[in-house]
Amino acid sequence: MSEVNSLKESRKENFSKNFNRFKQSKIGMTGLVIVVLFGVLALLQPLLFLSGIWDYKTYDPVVGYDAEKYIAEVVVCPDEYPNERYSERKDCPGRNEVTLISVKPYNPGIKEGDTIDRFRQPAEPSGKHILGTDSLGRDVFSQIMEGSQVAFILGLLSATLSVVISTILGSIAAYFGGFIDSYLMRQSDLLLMLPSLPLLFIISAFTELQVWHLALVLGTLGGLGGSVITIKSQALQVKVKPFVDSARITGGSRMNILFSHILPNVAPLALLFMVFGVTGAIASESVLSFLGLLNIDMSWGLMISVSQADGYINQGLTYWWLVIPAGLSVTLLAGGFYLVGRGLDDVFNPRLRKR
Amino acid sequence: MNQNNILEVKKLNMMYNTLEGNVNAVKDVSFEIKKGSSFGLVGESGCGKTSVAMTLMQLQADNAKIISGNIIFDGQEMVGLNEKELRKIRWGGISIVFQGAMNAWNPVIKIGEQIREAIREHYPENTRSENTNKINTLFKMVGLEQNVADRYPHELSGGMKQRAVIALSLSCDPKLIIADEPTTALDVVIQDQILKEIKKVQKDLGLSLIYISHDIAVIAEMTDYMAVMYAGRIVETGKTEDIFKNPKHSYTRMLLDSTPSIIGDKKMLKSLDGEPPSLMDNFSGCSFASRCPNRNTTCHPELDMELVEVGEDHFVDICSAK
Amino acid sequence: MAKYVLSRFFQMGLVFLLFLVLSYILFDAIPGNAFQSLLLNPSLPDYAYDQVVELYGLNEPLLTRIQNYVINFFKGDFGYSYLQFPKTPIDLIAERLPRTLMLFSIVNIFSFYSGFFVGKVLAWRRGSKSETWITITSVFSYTIFYPWFALIMLWFFGLKLNWLPIGKFLYPEKWYDAPFDSDVVFIEMIKYTLYFSLLFFLINIFTRNIESISKRRNIRIIGFASLLVLSIIYWNFGKLEEMKTYAGDIAYHMILPIITVTIVAFAGTALLTRTTMMEVLKEDYILTARAKGISQKRIRDRHAARTALLPVVTSFIFTIVTIIDGAVLTENIFSWPGMGQLILDSVLREDIPVAMASFSFIGITALVAHFIADISYAFLDPRIRIKSQG
Repeated sequence: MSEVNSLKESRKENFSKNFNRFKQSKIGMTGLVIVVLFGVLALLQPLLFLSGIWDYKTYDPVVGYDAEKYIAEVVVCPDEYPNERYSERKDCPGRNEVTLISVKPYNPGIKEGDTIDRFRQPAEPSGKHILGTDSLGRDVFSQIMEGSQVAFILGLLSATLSVVISTILGSIAAYFGGFIDSYLMRQSDLLLMLPSLPLLFIISAFTELQVWHLALVLGTLGGLGGSVITIKSQALQVKVKPFVDSARITGGSRMNILFSHILPNVAPLALLFMVFGVTGAIASESVLSFLGLLNIDMSWGLMISVSQADGYINQGLTYWWLVIPAGLSVTLLAGGFYLVGRGLDDVFNPRLRKR
Repeated sequence: MNQNNILEVKKLNMMYNTLEGNVNAVKDVSFEIKKGSSFGLVGESGCGKTSVAMTLMQLQADNAKIISGNIIFDGQEMVGLNEKELRKIRWGGISIVFQGAMNAWNPVIKIGEQIREAIREHYPENTRSENTNKINTLFKMVGLEQNVADRYPHELSGGMKQRAVIALSLSCDPKLIIADEPTTALDVVIQDQILKEIKKVQKDLGLSLIYISHDIAVIAEMTDYMAVMYAGRIVETGKTEDIFKNPKHSYTRMLLDSTPSIIGDKKMLKSLDGEPPSLMDNFSGCSFASRCPNRNTTCHPELDMELVEVGEDHFVDICSAK
Repeated sequence: MAKYVLSRFFQMGLVFLLFLVLSYILFDAIPGNAFQSLLLNPSLPDYAYDQVVELYGLNEPLLTRIQNYVINFFKGDFGYSYLQFPKTPIDLIAERLPRTLMLFSIVNIFSFYSGFFVGKVLAWRRGSKSETWITITSVFSYTIFYPWFALIMLWFFGLKLNWLPIGKFLYPEKWYDAPFDSDVVFIEMIKYTLYFSLLFFLINIFTRNIESISKRRNIRIIGFASLLVLSIIYWNFGKLEEMKTYAGDIAYHMILPIITVTIVAFAGTALLTRTTMMEVLKEDYILTARAKGISQKRIRDRHAARTALLPVVTSFIFTIVTIIDGAVLTENIFSWPGMGQLILDSVLREDIPVAMASFSFIGITALVAHFIADISYAFLDPRIRIKSQG
């Protein structure tokens, strides 16, 4: 009994020792801070709703609505600049103005100089909406938090699936060798040959891709692809170590050796892959929702896509809250996971440590 | 500095900065090496001999630091020199034959090219053919054929690689060579050849040699002077003959007693219980006290130690009480 | 050796066959077909659609269609484009490929050299202050949200500063009375890039054996300068002189996409190089090199980086395969009409022959690249080379 306890203890000791080493890596800690930050954001949103601080009608990222009413003057933008009213072309229409052309179809009788009620959407950041609202009056900060949830769920799901598959396959390929090995290598080849983006296009064309589906697809494709080759070479290095031979001689079954010897040694590399896999999954999801291929209500990629379609990106920094936060979030979270992976490198790979 | 000495080490202290704490690997080490002589450094694994060797060439690891002491090579103080000056001394003044010469070679570059690289660094004006001649001379000296220069490291056997390492160490005409357990990984037959090779080369070129080993038998054969290290300190130093005939320190005696002899009566090998102490604390007293079989009431292990002369050139590390 | 190549090619052929069948099935799974949008127009007679479907054999069972396609494929008959009849897929690929190649080969060269250089320096400076923030910057450069970044670059350099064009690969107005087709100009540009790179590479190889380091460096600089002079002469000679301005127009349009993609692409190589180098630095022969008194820079470049080159080159070869994949996004955003756009278009609009041909092209490239990567690894690492000969 005491042996079991001491084993548990030593595992705990091991864990805290490794964590201390991880703390030494500035790169890893930076990544961890970023990931935790976004994690907090993801968890914060439902909390805010449940506790009543936020109400759904205003703050829901998809169907919320909040826009301030203001009175706008109808103007016609002249052809020549600068003129008495405006110094540059982009100054017209001004903040409380609206062009005649844009309102005429809905208000046939309107003419220049009239005033009209307008709703300010998108609105700049204010006390009520930390990152402002988008063109549909939805709170951007809430959208970011929703996107964070999507990123985490999708990222972790597909990365875990991918790693589980590739680790098992890679270990099997290394251990059994021969025909199984060749088969699995060619299978990886086959997947490497398929161009990923067009493939995802095709898949989204004949099935409706929701977040779960995408996680499954990404996970499977990733798991069966190139990472099998890398895991296999790592497992091969373990296979030739003497303790595997001694395990066999003492009568360990193949399955037993596979699971209790090879897998634990491949585990650090697999963990690394998983973390990097999250990076890839977040990037893929963002690209896909940017291209409009994903049946998803809200994600960071979608935010950028909408901003682009509405033409706000071309206006540069005027509507910065529609342009910067979403793209930055993708970059930072994907990068954060990658940094954590690099930090883990230091822990698991003693050859990389400072001497 | 004595003109007859090629190297003088005075109270050298070095430590490694690790996650678990500071490891004091070299404590108050002092010794002298006369020009043209061979000096042995012996001790068990972990006693600090390789650390001393690395420190001599200022090749210590990134987390290692010299706390205090002097290293005077050929009249020049080495501690505190800048990198540029050090690079001139490395290989041109002192060179090293590494432990485990197997891995000393870059696997993707030919042997000849790697030697050339060293020569180019120290004799940049040489032409290609001059260097080729030099390499051929070196190879002849160590008993290698000329075509070895065109080979890759993995194409050579262990013994050939080792000889090539010796050739490499001589390539820039150094005055002092450090041989750090150069034959540990080789079988006894090759070992014998290599040792003879080293001795011959040393005599022919008039070099000074530091020979580091845990094998006291080899030290007896190869060296004129020697030092015994334990737990980072030098416990005894002097002429090899003197020390073998008349070991003064208890550790030295145990070391000699634990080596079997092929002549004379068969006797029981004595071994030493226990383990060397941890080097983490900065203990300056007698580190051998806990294992010393000759410990008696006159011992005061907590007192500072120093090297005291007990015979001609013969020094022993004794606590300040005696 | 020959046995290995043969069995490998056999395996590759098998995989490719599977790939063809798999691709065809995938395309077939997409609901609808290319002709629906064209021919289900009520102003056309009823039988138009049915007739075309029957003509193309689209109503036959899947198995028959796959069989026909595979057999025809290996006969060299790839059919005609559904949407751009009478062009064949080969015509289209031949038209689009040079444009993508031009763009992405330059990107790959730049990103490889800069990535390797940054990674090399990063690994060497391990533990210093600059290492941390440069690495973090590289990571974010690697994970930057590409469409977003590209759009911002377009806005900044194109709209705000008005320095660079916002799309396409040339100004149509300038080409109205051009005596050349844009494809011809592209081919010339690719030829030139190839010659230049080859000569540069050869200069490096032939100067490898010069003993003195400074002499070697000087000769290489002179070689590079003379290459530049040769280039100027090359572009002022014969019909290339007329082509100059048009080539310049294309080059001008390439600047922004190249910069954008390189910034994202170099980081991957840099990070891989850094990791590999850090492993190499722990090897004993690095210590030997230091003991020999060699300068830090030389140890870094000649010993550490040289060994780190192996895995980086092999991964680089794999990234070449993903050129077309990355091209889809880039060409979309920058309106660069190359292979990427071709694939996207043909997949979305179900122009099956073109889509299949493009996929096959990518598939073959991937297989060959994998094969080359394996061979080059043996070439770069003499340990493996000898083993396979012995």
